[in-house]
Amino acid sequence: MTDQADQSRRNFLYIAAGGLGAVAAGAAAVPFIGSMFPAADTLAAAKTEFDVATVEEGQLVVIQWQGKPVFVSNRTPELLAQLDGHDDMLKDPNSEAIEEVSAEWMTAENRKYRSIKPEYFIAVASCTHLGCIPLYKPSAGRKEWGTAVPEDWPGGWHCPCHGSLYDLSARVINGSPAPHNLHLMPYKYTSDTKVVIG
Amino acid sequence: MLDTIMQTKLFAWVDRRTGAADIIKSQLTEYPVPKNLNYMWNFGSLALLVLVLQIVTGIFLAMYYKPSAALTYGGYTVAFDSVERIMRDVNFGWLIRYMHAVGASAFFVVVYMHIGRGLYYGSYKEPRELLWIIGVVILLIMQGSAFFGYLLPWGQMSFWGATVITELFGALPIIGEYLQQLLRGGFAVGDPTLNRFFSLHYLFPLLLAAIVGGHVHALHVVHSNNPEGIDVHSDDQKINFHPYYTIKDAFGVGVFLTIYCYVVFFNPQMAGYFIEVDNYVPANNLQTPAHIAPVWYLTPWYTILRSFESKLLGVIAMGGSLAILFVLPFLDRSKVRSGRYRPMFRLMVVMFFVDVIVLGYCGHSAPSETLKLVGQIATAYYFAFFLLLPFLPMVEKTKPEPEGI
Repeated sequence: MTDQADQSRRNFLYIAAGGLGAVAAGAAAVPFIGSMFPAADTLAAAKTEFDVATVEEGQLVVIQWQGKPVFVSNRTPELLAQLDGHDDMLKDPNSEAIEEVSAEWMTAENRKYRSIKPEYFIAVASCTHLGCIPLYKPSAGRKEWGTAVPEDWPGGWHCPCHGSLYDLSARVINGSPAPHNLHLMPYKYTSDTKVVIG
Repeated sequence: MLDTIMQTKLFAWVDRRTGAADIIKSQLTEYPVPKNLNYMWNFGSLALLVLVLQIVTGIFLAMYYKPSAALTYGGYTVAFDSVERIMRDVNFGWLIRYMHAVGASAFFVVVYMHIGRGLYYGSYKEPRELLWIIGVVILLIMQGSAFFGYLLPWGQMSFWGATVITELFGALPIIGEYLQQLLRGGFAVGDPTLNRFFSLHYLFPLLLAAIVGGHVHALHVVHSNNPEGIDVHSDDQKINFHPYYTIKDAFGVGVFLTIYCYVVFFNPQMAGYFIEVDNYVPANNLQTPAHIAPVWYLTPWYTILRSFESKLLGVIAMGGSLAILFVLPFLDRSKVRSGRYRPMFRLMVVMFFVDVIVLGYCGHSAPSETLKLVGQIATAYYFAFFLLLPFLPMVEKTKPEPEGI
């Protein structure tokens, strides 16, 4: 048999048929892998509406957006004042690392507030290290919090999992394992106090 | 191609630790197969392909399917809604579900062809009795798996089909009532039934995969029968499985997939034969649909059940019609295997194929007086076929078999 066969023609056919088969198998994998991505109804539930007027002064609430926790804090003028004077302690004081989501409204003066309205701060409540929800420790210094926070604590969030620290605008403090400030997400005000997240 | 791969250093490394080369040689490249197999011999590999398709699509469906009869706000149930969600919201969910539903019917089409081929060419006879018996076990597990799977969408047909079939077990004396409760997990088909059927629907294909392995192993010990039904001894009448039959099987796969894809994409419900229309109505335990029938692949046995006035006799007859397949190799006493050289057997077996189709038709149709009589006659022939086999050699004059192929 073999001595009569044209081996190069035969090999070409093998490779052509095998190649076509591989392409077909790859194409057949598309719907299966595709089915594992979020379904249409999951995507449709991607926006959350919230009335920030329900948050009392100085209070923090955690709401859900796409199944993820979101911080909404109402910062009093005193708390806002605590944002000044520790820029040298921050990894990214101007939030320049991930610019896209806030690019529309971020101005030079509200970079330290990281929010559209300075009093209402809204951010994804997952530590950028490994996703735990940080604890809210708004008052400055160790008086209320003990040794869990540094002596020059400006007030903010402390992650119980691996000790990451954030200030009251959720900007990450030097020495934390977290690489970034808490992520902001796209949101806009549809009325004075109604906000649509997502 | 394969020999190029087998000459690589990597293959040598694997071979030294697994004996892969010997396995490939004994099972593929030097596994001898009669050279005259016709296209009826393609259905075994097709059945394997469909089994793989069913397992793969099933695993992906299970990522979204929820086996719960709890009510939802929409007034349906969690299970019914999760199937509709797969159809409407899950990416490619419609495709994967239709592949699975059509695959179930395709599985029975190829397996029934495979069994019919075995019957016609006498593939169940010495020395392949055990190979046949393993095959019958596979058929029963397939039917069980299909039955369990049919409950999962929790539609009207699901619910009432499961009610009727579990009711059957209640007909058995003494143990019947307990067996029925064991299957249902309650006094009627309900949430516990749905949960356990889902569990079993996931288990059975794993059993199938294992037993199919045994079926193939048994085949590779006794080797393939052939259309002439004679033993093949000389080497010039055999060819190696690879590449000759791998390429022929691959061609069969191409033809099969063309038809399968046509049905999946253009006609997945097959006019109510593959997915019954009533199953798009959510299960209602207070109302039975006007006409209920099993899916087509179970209807022949359903007719046998319906042909008896006594419920117990019907159940026994239905069980017997499947059980008799186990003893077929011992009922048929003729030394000649292939229907080609057995004129009377050939007529009987072709009539048997027609008979099973008639049984299937009767079981799928709404009951009527005429169809009941037709069903009873067909049932009688079903059993007569098997029970006449031991006596056939006394009257049948077989044709001379050829020397070789």
